[in-house]
Amino acid sequence: MYPYRALLSLLCLLFYLPAAAQAELVPERILLTFIPNIQFAPMYVGIEQGHFAEAGFDVTLEHLQEPEALDLVAISQAKYSIVSGEQVILARSRGRDVVYVFEWFQQYPIGIVYDEARALDDLAQLRGWTIGIPIRSGASYSGLTALLHSVNLTEADVVLQEIGFNAPEAFCLGAVDAAVIYANNEALHIRRLTQAGECGAIQEVAVAMVADEVDLVSNGLIVNRDTLQKDPREAAAMVQALRLALRSTIDNPAAAYLASLQHVDTLPQDEPLLQALEAAAEQQHAFLQGEPTRTAIAESRQALAQELAQQFDAATLAQFQVLLHSIELWDADELGISELASWQSMQSTLDELSLLGSDLGELENAFSNELLRAP
Amino acid sequence: MDRAGSAASPLRSQHWRNLRRLAPILTLLALLLLWQLVSAWQLLPALLLPPPADVLAAFQRAWADGSLLRHANTTIGEMSLGLLFGLSIGLALGYAIAKLPLLEYILSPMIVAFQSTPIVAYAPLLIIWFGTGPTSKVFTTAIIVFFPTLVNTIVGIRSVSPALHDLMRSLRANAWQRFRYLELPSALPVLLAGLKTSATLAVIGAVVGEFVGSGSGLGVLVIMARSQYDTPLVIVTVLTMTAIALSLYSLVVLLEWRLLAWRRRSAFG
Repeated sequence: MYPYRALLSLLCLLFYLPAAAQAELVPERILLTFIPNIQFAPMYVGIEQGHFAEAGFDVTLEHLQEPEALDLVAISQAKYSIVSGEQVILARSRGRDVVYVFEWFQQYPIGIVYDEARALDDLAQLRGWTIGIPIRSGASYSGLTALLHSVNLTEADVVLQEIGFNAPEAFCLGAVDAAVIYANNEALHIRRLTQAGECGAIQEVAVAMVADEVDLVSNGLIVNRDTLQKDPREAAAMVQALRLALRSTIDNPAAAYLASLQHVDTLPQDEPLLQALEAAAEQQHAFLQGEPTRTAIAESRQALAQELAQQFDAATLAQFQVLLHSIELWDADELGISELASWQSMQSTLDELSLLGSDLGELENAFSNELLRAP
Repeated sequence: MDRAGSAASPLRSQHWRNLRRLAPILTLLALLLLWQLVSAWQLLPALLLPPPADVLAAFQRAWADGSLLRHANTTIGEMSLGLLFGLSIGLALGYAIAKLPLLEYILSPMIVAFQSTPIVAYAPLLIIWFGTGPTSKVFTTAIIVFFPTLVNTIVGIRSVSPALHDLMRSLRANAWQRFRYLELPSALPVLLAGLKTSATLAVIGAVVGEFVGSGSGLGVLVIMARSQYDTPLVIVTVLTMTAIALSLYSLVVLLEWRLLAWRRRSAFG
């Protein structure tokens, strides 16, 4: 009887333990913008590689428009969201007490794509150009305004044309001289079109990055003031988990791509590509054991990109290229830190556009690096 | 007692008629009061539902700086042209299909397939094909307006009594006379019902187009207000869209009242 009871107890324990471990995780949703996409790879890495679980979270991801996501955080319907710094300033200026606690994008991802043959020596030569922009609001508009301002131009010096999110079509069909684009995504698509001879007479394109001219705060994690005051430990755990997930993605993009397959239906999943990425991920894992420098890791990413380019066509590699270019915008010695200067630049840009409400208060309250320093 | 009762009856019915006329205004006032109470008692955060006074202030601001009128004019222009094209094509094709059943067999799968696809799904393609100017919005409006017009035209023309057709034939009426004096008047109630639906859908068509890509219009104003967290302005813009749709609907009702006066006259002898 006793051995039977012991066996039963052991079986119960075996079933109970994983369930108990699972029960300890706090269910938490993170609101993202756009749609499931490889650009959110750090989130998928955080889930698949267990960074969130180790910090005590059972994370689910939801995609919304930026203002809706921010408002849900502001009214405590959600604790965490990834939005742009510009939205934080705009929302705070209209009474939403949200705080930006982790800068994901170290560089502002917006740029202007133009025909390289037009050889711009100075961005001031943009004067008189017709520039396509999705809409006169949002990150594209702020980025363009800041870029023009940096070379003493204003919106009145160029012809702005709203083109929706159709930059490749509008640019390649010659409807605009240049287009405001997300450099890690649309710029690559336009480059592929030019290489395939499908971009009119344009042979090669150049991208003028906003980040090269002015430091603007970009996308990052927000919480509301209540969360920060009531659950600072929990918020710090989330920030640390995100930092680790981001670092893992930067260090091993092949593994990040594989982790993203579970979340992004549209990623190419050709067997040869997956095998190549699995091998690359394993090789990179071994490489990272030697604690290489950031430069060495960046070189390893370049080497991987070149190696894959010899094996696969551009269309198959397109999304992996988006990931690699996104990583260039995320990487830094110290991830997550945002600087007051970049917030000031953004505020001054929004001020110039007369977009701010009256409740902004002290800009220093809009962000905090404290959670990154928490033990 | 009977006399008193019969005297009170017209009075009571007059009273109810007045009350019925006032009902929409009373409903509106009740909603405004409810809104004010929800705001005053802070049942919802102000950033989700700003008080009516804030919305009024946003309206005054947008009116004074001309932005509301500018964007509304764009939407009204796109909507009117779209309505014109959508109605013209819907009426012409609907009449042709009603008269030539073979045409229905040929075209209906295509028309139904086209109509059953949500317009937001292919609106981005229209922007790519027709550009971000007004043409793409006129097109989205025309598409959305086309189907109810088409269906109502077919139903209206086919609902004409065969006996009346026989009568017209016996009177040796030509095709134009049959159309002018029989088919059009008979189909008018159904056509106007379709026009009412089209009128309200037209605003949706224009705004969907503006949402996808545009520089001006009420759809753009909503996006801009939302991206600036200006909830009162969002509400002002949505109410403006509603007002435009209601005005258009009322115009059709007025038109119906005028055009179908003969029916009322014949009904009441």
